[in-house]
Amino acid sequence: MEQIGLYLGCNIPLKAPDIEQSFRKIFPPLGVQPVDLEGAGCCPAWGTAPSFDLNTWCAISSRNITIAEDKNLDIMTGCNSCFGVLSEAKHFMGNAATRKVVNGSLAKINREFKGTSDIYHVAHVLHKKIGVAKIKENLKFSLAGLKIAVQTGCHTLWPSDVYKVKEENSYYPTILKDLCEVTGATVPHYSRLEGCCGMGGMRSTDAEKSLKLFKEKLLSIKEETDADMIVTTCSSCFLQFDMSQPILKERGEIDFEPIPTFYYTQLLALAMGFEPQQVASISQIDRRPIIAEIQSEKRRIKEGM
Amino acid sequence: MIIDQKKIDEAIEIIKGHGGHGIQKCVQCGACSAVCPGVKAGFPLLCRALIRELLNGHLEENIENSSSWGCQACNRCTEVCPQGVRPQEVVFAFRRYQALELAFSTSSVTSQMNLYETGHAVFSDPKEARRKVGLPEETPTSAFNEEAQKEIRTLMDNSPMGELGLF
Ligand code: SF4
Ligand code: SF4
Repeated sequence: MEQIGLYLGCNIPLKAPDIEQSFRKIFPPLGVQPVDLEGAGCCPAWGTAPSFDLNTWCAISSRNITIAEDKNLDIMTGCNSCFGVLSEAKHFMGNAATRKVVNGSLAKINREFKGTSDIYHVAHVLHKKIGVAKIKENLKFSLAGLKIAVQTGCHTLWPSDVYKVKEENSYYPTILKDLCEVTGATVPHYSRLEGCCGMGGMRSTDAEKSLKLFKEKLLSIKEETDADMIVTTCSSCFLQFDMSQPILKERGEIDFEPIPTFYYTQLLALAMGFEPQQVASISQIDRRPIIAEIQSEKRRIKEGM
Repeated sequence: MIIDQKKIDEAIEIIKGHGGHGIQKCVQCGACSAVCPGVKAGFPLLCRALIRELLNGHLEENIENSSSWGCQACNRCTEVCPQGVRPQEVVFAFRRYQALELAFSTSSVTSQMNLYETGHAVFSDPKEARRKVGLPEETPTSAFNEEAQKEIRTLMDNSPMGELGLF
């Protein structure tokens, strides 16, 4: 079975371990074995070393990357920010002068960045390495008739020149759409598809500005798609959708019920028949009704069909 | 307006030194600002407007401005810039200038301390949540790995961050 280094980051293993568990459940049946990168830490997050010093950013990212290099493995991460931070650091390490200075720092901890490991997002591994046909073979429940609004998130899209896997048009991304459609669900377009959800530095700097941007996106989703759920491949977008819809509702700024939100592999794990308690149990918005619908008997795919 | 060339040269040198290498290629077309979610949300000093200020030598004058901290590092600007400026790199270079002068909100100090202590910028005890979803209580990450934490501390101690007294 193909192996790949599973880089966890911070939010997923510490705050959303049900997302981590969904990775661990879905990949082996699809033919990819995630391998732990022991001792990997923060990517480092945009608000830390990248905001202070470029070489320190590169050093901390490179340390993480060398853990995979030592195992001769590529890296897969489910966090968009980690994906962006690690990919950009690897891009900077392509510069000989930067690499020399940073490898000088890494020598103090007996490490050396070689550049032999590629960096993939979970969505890339599913779409490009595994492929939708293989995913389809492993489904236990069909999502036919359900409507999904997708949210790709910024850091797998731009700047496209630093990423190993690129969308054909980063302002009209289709990878997540394909991954959702294979479950049988419909994925309608909405005008703010590529819009930013407002999480990240913006939210910690000014929550009200962040919410304003978020609301615009949310209303576009609600009014143009009336989706049953929102599905994202960014763990930060997930937190924003799950945490901020109830806030807007409580303030009376939206007049509809918060739309249940899933990280993509949670949805896939449910469609593959895994236990909701293990793969999709941590959220502010009550997801139990939609989970019961997804795993209802009438949706079970009969063998041999 | 009096143009102080020395001040302008200094500002450009500082921004380039912090990674904003493309700043002088900017032609002020505004394509970056048009796609920037930060500008849209109401952080005026990003993209074209910030670059203009910096190219006029106004570094110190804007040191307390919080716009750069509202940048999402999304790089929509980098993608559309016809000149190859990579505006996000300029924004972050300015942010680094601010950060090394300690011009940032105190709330961000916690992340630096968490990173230094646990190797994770975001840290909370995950044991119960992990047990409930059927995972080992301890993550395979630096959070429960002293050797890893030591490595990360060494990298931070030996960086310009180490001199700021944040951790
Ligand atoms: S898009 Fe490029 S050239 Fe145009 S204003 Fe922005 S940075 Fe300058
Ligand atoms: S990276 Fe920052 S400056 Fe560039 S478009 Fe995104 S939010 Fe705006």
